[in-house]
Amino acid sequence: MAGAVGAFGYEVPLIVILAVVALVIGLLLTVSFYITIGWSVYRSVVDERRDRVRDDLREALLERLFADDPGWEEWVETLSGTERRVTESLLDEFLRELDGGDKAQLQGLGVALGIPDRARNQLDGRGEFEHLDALTWLTLLGDPDPYLESAFEPETPRERAATVTLLSETDSLDGAGEGVSILLDDIDGQFTVFGQDTLHRISRSDPTPLLETARREYRSWNEPLLAQVLAVCANLETSVGDQDLSWLTAALETENEAIRAAAARALGSFGWRETVRDRAFLERAVGDPSPRVRGAVYEMLGAWGDQPALSVLLYALVSETHPRAVERGTAALVDRRDRIDPDTPAVLGPAWDWSVEHAEYDDMARHGSKRVYS
Amino acid sequence: MPSTTIWPGTAPSGCIVEMHTITHAVLMGLAGFGVFVVGYYALISVGYLFLHVLALFELREDVKESRWDPPFRKFSSPFYPGIGIVVPAYNEEATIVESVRSMLSLNYPETEVVVVNDGSTDATLDRLREQFDLEAIDAEIPFDIPAEEIHGVYRSTTDEKLLVVDKDNGGKSDALNAGIWLTDMPLFCAVDADTIIDRDALLQIVTPFLKEPTTAVASGGVIRVANDCTVEDGIVTDVSLPKTGLPGLQVMEYLRAFYSGRLGLNRINGLILISGAFGLFQTEAVREIGGYRHDTITEDFDIVVRLHKHLTEQDREYTVDFVPEPVAWTEVPSSRRVLSRQRRRWYRGMMETVVTNRKMLFNRAYGRVGTLVMPFFVAAETLGPLIEGLGYVVLPVAWYFGALDVTFVLMFFLLTTGYGVFLSWFGVFSEVWSFNRYDSPWQVLRLLWYGVLENFGYRQWKTIVAWRGLIEYVRGVETWGVMERSGFAGEEE
Repeated sequence: MAGAVGAFGYEVPLIVILAVVALVIGLLLTVSFYITIGWSVYRSVVDERRDRVRDDLREALLERLFADDPGWEEWVETLSGTERRVTESLLDEFLRELDGGDKAQLQGLGVALGIPDRARNQLDGRGEFEHLDALTWLTLLGDPDPYLESAFEPETPRERAATVTLLSETDSLDGAGEGVSILLDDIDGQFTVFGQDTLHRISRSDPTPLLETARREYRSWNEPLLAQVLAVCANLETSVGDQDLSWLTAALETENEAIRAAAARALGSFGWRETVRDRAFLERAVGDPSPRVRGAVYEMLGAWGDQPALSVLLYALVSETHPRAVERGTAALVDRRDRIDPDTPAVLGPAWDWSVEHAEYDDMARHGSKRVYS
Repeated sequence: MPSTTIWPGTAPSGCIVEMHTITHAVLMGLAGFGVFVVGYYALISVGYLFLHVLALFELREDVKESRWDPPFRKFSSPFYPGIGIVVPAYNEEATIVESVRSMLSLNYPETEVVVVNDGSTDATLDRLREQFDLEAIDAEIPFDIPAEEIHGVYRSTTDEKLLVVDKDNGGKSDALNAGIWLTDMPLFCAVDADTIIDRDALLQIVTPFLKEPTTAVASGGVIRVANDCTVEDGIVTDVSLPKTGLPGLQVMEYLRAFYSGRLGLNRINGLILISGAFGLFQTEAVREIGGYRHDTITEDFDIVVRLHKHLTEQDREYTVDFVPEPVAWTEVPSSRRVLSRQRRRWYRGMMETVVTNRKMLFNRAYGRVGTLVMPFFVAAETLGPLIEGLGYVVLPVAWYFGALDVTFVLMFFLLTTGYGVFLSWFGVFSEVWSFNRYDSPWQVLRLLWYGVLENFGYRQWKTIVAWRGLIEYVRGVETWGVMERSGFAGEEE
């Protein structure tokens, strides 16, 4: 094999180049082979050891759980490293499933395993998932002290949600206001479903701080975060008193279609409010260029369900041209059928019949009997 | 061909000159082809290495996230958007009831299972009617559906989550469109009737839609090979590596494709393929582009490319994501004949989609997908096997003309094989390091062996299949072929 490759005034024979490439590939193959097999063997051995002791440990744990004095400290001292790790995973499983006295009893095992001390160290560390692991364990153990004593400040949306969950689950949260503040003040990014759920849980009983914060800050939020907050509002299922909802009506007129639809759903959950009774506003809403948003607005009007709302809905549906939006409107109207003129649905055509049929089958599947709508 | 013409009376000297010219031209051509192949291979290899490294970073984050279980009750959370599971069914009487039961029992707060009986000639619809107490909806569908004629829409009187559509046969795309237009859910999951989905898979595959509620339009999960796995009550209870070579080689291919290719592309928001066996889409976005195309045979590839195209043209911000842990299981062909048919179909579909969307290639208006992902995909997946196949044909020609440096060719083959093996092992390593479904080291060793084995015979055979696929595409062949299934271990006979 002849030939050479020249560069920068040097000539390297092709055979040398190929030999170097072969050496590199050979090295990569050797390393990847040994790492893969080594890691597989290691995981297999660890898993096997854990599986071997799991059933006995589960039995022993349950026995002590229901004893008057579980004696966790003495028990944990007798456990090997592998057994401790399995016990920890069993503890995690049980703490998520149990409530009341059993859970309180189990929390003592967490202390005996040294989890709060470890969590304290993890909170001083720098990794997000270290923080999350610590906060989750403290929540399960119902022990906020390591967090309260540390200098840890949650930064990422996930850390914020885990912190608020810890504080609220351990009754250490100073009202919904503090929770909303931890979750939303100067937030960068958006939530996972856990964050959304946390915001929902703390705002359900007192939505004022969330609505106040949203009113002040919604313009500075990125669109995904705004959509998430709107989804939380749509699920509050609570009275909001005389809160200022102008930010919601403003969100219904933003450029982003998904935001407008989410705003309509949120408004739907707050009932018929003076602040949104303005006819001009409703006309704009039902005249939205997007059928997806119009569908959401129809559902909002259906959710309000009073006469003025239903008449706006009916009027809009008669002139609606998008079949999918019509169907969403008729589905919203079917639930309020007892409040409208029985002859009116005739003008809505097949969409009405379709929605009625589906509503009847939903009832039948849920309750075993057909509630007749028509 | 003038260069080969030999005039009477000038034969001896002219012939020598002409022959010399031909030989010279052939040698030049061969040398040029050789340089082209080596350069082409080098470029593709760098691209793949880049993707694999990106995939490793992506996987590291995904693994960390998957190991953290936040302390809240997922099932009582109202923030999981409803998912319509669309199941096209054609002559599935033997398995349809079990499949539907399995779909109905997936762990997810809000689902609707839409089974589309695509003109089955067997008792698929009767089985469903009997088992789920179906009743026909006595109302006209109030909107147009881009599908063959629908004869009836049925609701179950015992399970509110089940909707069954009975329609004329129109193929998988047509059946999917019927389901997409009839579901009420904001998201839909396209699955094959014989796909087995992990119980928690929907909770995971939906994650991108929760994180990016205003921009996520599609997400795909991992498809794994179910041959020789034990399946009980619609769940894979024991994961085994197939005992025979051909499915085993496909396990290797799937691991490499999902853990390296798709994860790497996801890192740069350039995912252009979500497997038809398990993908989640925003219903409205897919309706907007008219649903699945009827005239394509790889509708899963086509739909994602069209979503990219449409949303970029609309100047809309969007994301298409890949989530590495939700797993769906599917049976892969175990005979060479069926596998060849499947791969030829895939190749024809790939050609179709690439040709239809050729405007996107090297087009900056389509962002990274147009400038980087599509060109790389075409170079590696569409043209790569053809060029490799051509190389195998050219080798004996070069040898005949004495232009073959046997040592170089052997070295090149060994190096490319070694590199190919390395990329395959990278996929196996990703699997072992992350979710480790093949938990026995013996299985892992066998997987590594398949990574070596596929380079001797299987890889070369695939280039022939690619060429056949190309010829079929040029000839306009449109058949699907039938997947022959042998069923799973643990299923009732």
